[in-house]
Amino acid sequence: MQQTSKNQQLRARTFPSMGTVVGVTAASTAPAQTAVDEVESAVDVVEGIFSQLDLTFSLYRAGSEASRLDRGELTLAYASKTMQELYAEASEWRLATDGAFTAERPDGGLDLSGIVKAHAMREAALSLRALGLKDWCVNAGGDVLVNGSPEPRPSSPIHEPWLAGIVDPLDRQALLGAYPLRAMSALATSGSAERGEHIWAVGSTRPDFAQVSVAAPDIVTADVLATAIVAGGTHSLDQAVDKWGVEVLAVRRDGTMLATPGFRNAA
Amino acid sequence: MATAVASTGILLAGWQSGAHIAETGASTTTSLSSSATSDSSTGTGTSTTGGTGTGSSSGTSAKSTTAATYDGAAVPTRFGTVQVQVTIQDGKITEVTPLELTDAERKSAQISSRAAPVLRSEVLQAQSASVQTIGGATVTSDAYLTSLQAALDAANF
Repeated sequence: MQQTSKNQQLRARTFPSMGTVVGVTAASTAPAQTAVDEVESAVDVVEGIFSQLDLTFSLYRAGSEASRLDRGELTLAYASKTMQELYAEASEWRLATDGAFTAERPDGGLDLSGIVKAHAMREAALSLRALGLKDWCVNAGGDVLVNGSPEPRPSSPIHEPWLAGIVDPLDRQALLGAYPLRAMSALATSGSAERGEHIWAVGSTRPDFAQVSVAAPDIVTADVLATAIVAGGTHSLDQAVDKWGVEVLAVRRDGTMLATPGFRNAA
Repeated sequence: MATAVASTGILLAGWQSGAHIAETGASTTTSLSSSATSDSSTGTGTSTTGGTGTGSSSGTSAKSTTAATYDGAAVPTRFGTVQVQVTIQDGKITEVTPLELTDAERKSAQISSRAAPVLRSEVLQAQSASVQTIGGATVTSDAYLTSLQAALDAANF
């Protein structure tokens, strides 16, 4: 398929991190070589942030700060500021979601990986803005954070939103639907379809939902609430919508769906 | 008589959409889906009458025939929540009054912004060619390699 306008292009670069693949897509009206330079400097910055956080928080690296904390060689009081802050943030979310989101594993160990990826995306956004990049999309393992538009028009204040497809948990080569990312610029999806049952349902019952997508103004809220809804089911879904005003698309195990107005056709 | 026919029509539409929602949704959010049902069914009725506006054919033959007043459901629109009261006399709408929402009604309007059961055809449809990114595709590196997201990234390299 030929692009209609050659001076508007999307450029994407990817790198592996945190057990998944992170992609940075930038839209540019600049000449081709400049656009390539832009996306490559963007991805360098984002990769740096992800790598640094992965070194600290990975439980797959025996020498990481998180692993030392997990083995009891280090206590939180002596941990790094980032570790303490993320632990505090995770604890606040645990309280706010009545325990549906938690950084504690069933065995009592600490696992901040649920919030670290979203934190990395949040930091990446700050750096991309600081670089002066306006129109970009970061996709980390299927969680999405955007800024601006895929078709920037410098002369017009009206622009097309980034459109995120939502994958069908029962057929990963198909899309269930799509969500235009405007004020809700972050979209996180959690599920039990990949990585097995990596989210533990509250009260160890089987989760209601096979996949939950949450759109929110920031990626940490979206990510935490998507996880909380998979774990806490319909009750957590209602709580998330009432308390934080997020948009939700939830897919039950039989393929039927629940959606807030923002995910419906007319929106 | 015309009134009776019209309201039967609304009832029927309400019943149909009720059945339709019951068919799509499983047992979980019963109270939610029923509130969504009444919203959507009356919603169609109210919006058409609302379209005719307040000034429609008021004051026709002010005889003491039976007048009936109906409260519409609180309908969330992009301009905010709208609820109207409609007075019908001799089969004609004689008055459309916007209602002040009580706190309880505001609460019920809020509930309609909650998640309700939807059919696939009711969510925004898209093909992978029309989106720039994919949510929920690739939690693991292996899954990424065969994913729609990988294809998009390759296309934009």
